[in-house]
Amino acid sequence: MAGNKGRGRAAYTFNIEAVGFSKGEKLPDGVLKPPPLFPDTDYKPVPLKTGESEDYMLALKQELRETMKRKPYFIEKVEEKPDIERYSKKYIQVYKEEWIPDWRRFPREVMPRKKCRKADPKSKSTKGTDRVSSLLNAADVLKKIEELEKRGDGEKSDEENEEKEGSKENKEGDNDSDDANAEQEDYDEEEEQEEENDYINSYFEDGDDFGADSDDNMDEATY
Amino acid sequence: MLRYPRYIYTTKALYGDTGELIVEELLLNGKMTMSAVVKKVADRLTETVEDGKTMDYAEVSNTFVQLADTRFVQRCPMVHIPENSDTGPSPPAPSLVINEKDMYLVPKLSLIGKGKRRRSSDEDAAGEPKAKRPKRPMDSKEPIPDDGIYWQANLDRFHQHFRDQAIVSAVANRMDQTSSEIMRAMLRMSEVTTSSDAPFTQPLSSNEIFRSLPVGYNISKQVLDQYLTLLADDPLEFVGKSGDSGGGMYIINFCKALASLAIATLESVIQERFGSRCARIFRLVLQKKHLEQKQVEDFAMIPAKEAKDMLYKMLSENFISLQEIPKTPDHAPSRTFYLYTVNVLSAVRMLLHRCYKSVSNLIERRQFETKENKRLLEKSQRVEAIIASVQATGAEEAQLQEIEEMITAPERQQLETLKRNVNKLDASEIQVDETIFLLESYIESTTKRQ
Repeated sequence: MAGNKGRGRAAYTFNIEAVGFSKGEKLPDGVLKPPPLFPDTDYKPVPLKTGESEDYMLALKQELRETMKRKPYFIEKVEEKPDIERYSKKYIQVYKEEWIPDWRRFPREVMPRKKCRKADPKSKSTKGTDRVSSLLNAADVLKKIEELEKRGDGEKSDEENEEKEGSKENKEGDNDSDDANAEQEDYDEEEEQEEENDYINSYFEDGDDFGADSDDNMDEATY
Repeated sequence: MLRYPRYIYTTKALYGDTGELIVEELLLNGKMTMSAVVKKVADRLTETVEDGKTMDYAEVSNTFVQLADTRFVQRCPMVHIPENSDTGPSPPAPSLVINEKDMYLVPKLSLIGKGKRRRSSDEDAAGEPKAKRPKRPMDSKEPIPDDGIYWQANLDRFHQHFRDQAIVSAVANRMDQTSSEIMRAMLRMSEVTTSSDAPFTQPLSSNEIFRSLPVGYNISKQVLDQYLTLLADDPLEFVGKSGDSGGGMYIINFCKALASLAIATLESVIQERFGSRCARIFRLVLQKKHLEQKQVEDFAMIPAKEAKDMLYKMLSENFISLQEIPKTPDHAPSRTFYLYTVNVLSAVRMLLHRCYKSVSNLIERRQFETKENKRLLEKSQRVEAIIASVQATGAEEAQLQEIEEMITAPERQQLETLKRNVNKLDASEIQVDETIFLLESYIESTTKRQ
């Protein structure tokens, strides 16, 4: 049966009558273009139900939509600032309601903690940050010393910077599971360190060729 | 969330304005303590009712208790505090458990006059404060005594109610009012005894049904029996007879009822889309399960060309599917039977999918329309605000006229058309949701059965 495919004229492999067309009958035209986007239907849709209950539900729905926007649970996306701040924006503010959730029903991490300033007298947080900052200092110093011994002069600044940032990120990762306080303190401490440490900042004054140099040196550095 | 207006409207029909406001507050806020709900609802009612009268807390709490008794509101799971929790830190996410018994227990609060509250469940109430403070009447601020007991709207129960409503109206359409009343009585009796996803209700004897018929509906016992037999013999099989004790035991078969409702929806969709001849073919194939092309033409008494055309149209929309039955092991098309059949579950799923798409289209279009005319809407809002403020400070006709003319006539017309369109789109969303509900409950009932 398969061998007859090429030869012979239009001989269908199945009983054509079963499909419903008899031989020689006019088949519908082939489709030449995609069907129209909004084809005309022969049967128009049934009109909507109208009545008192439907009207009431419609009014309810629209009211609900408005009330929902005012609820504190309706958290809106923070929009980026438009090009010009319009004067009318001041008058079209939506007033949200206050909401104090019952924290016993939520996981602990969801609760936002207050961001402490550096001079905050909270004993816990300062103890934590002291520990953390000292660790940071010690680790950094050790790493710096190690690198100074290993690498040459040209790569020093580059790698030191990278290592320093890497270690900082590690420290931050450890602290993530603890209070967010410590993180805030970390950021503050980092800035302090960068300011105190003239070493890194001034080193880059070396030059405009810094970028080119580091690229060349990178090939040699990786073992 | 499309269904919220329907829930609220049902409560209004059953429990009046108070019940409606209670359910609305619960739906908007997710979960709330009972006293908070009562306070808010009383405040809202006081605003709408004429000045001078204030809403009594007692009435609101009564309605609340009624809602809890009929299970329309239920308690939320509570924070589970095991006995040895003092030693270690609490787990990062509190585990919420609830005891089945406690779901509908209302704590006894007397909100007027001195009250001492009795907590009716003590198992997982370890974290709640037990301070007893006397309560002063209505308007004063007071600490929340039933802290920690949250209530939410029981959506399952609402769904059950909608389903019952659909069944009753179907029976009323098919037969007459009396049989629908009987149906309603049977459903009401089995409301609390059967869980919401049971395939059929507990058997009810005809004596019980007779007793629980609404007062003033005096049909004799014999007539009732006749109606029951009529219902039980109906090919739709809503009601089945399961025994003869107590004058005949009858059950309501939810599976079958939902199935016939879903099939009716399918049929009406086909009728509206393709015409009544197509609907005839569809019903035929549904009834005979599997049919060949030739048989379809014969049974439906429709000329071959048209029948072919309609069958293929329905096939392309996936309402009907083909089943191949090969005569030879190599599935040669010339020697295979092709039978048309209706796979109800898949057709229903496909229809549900289309319903979802249409709802999303409606919402999209509504948002598009509102966005297009945002400027106009804002202007009209501002004009209304100006009018209101000017009126409050005592204005004259001329001023009001002038302010109203700020919106020109064509703009007004535009606003009118906009409003009409948006309303129509909104109403269609609500109605498509009714279909969605039917189809969803059918699919749920079939999947649970397996």
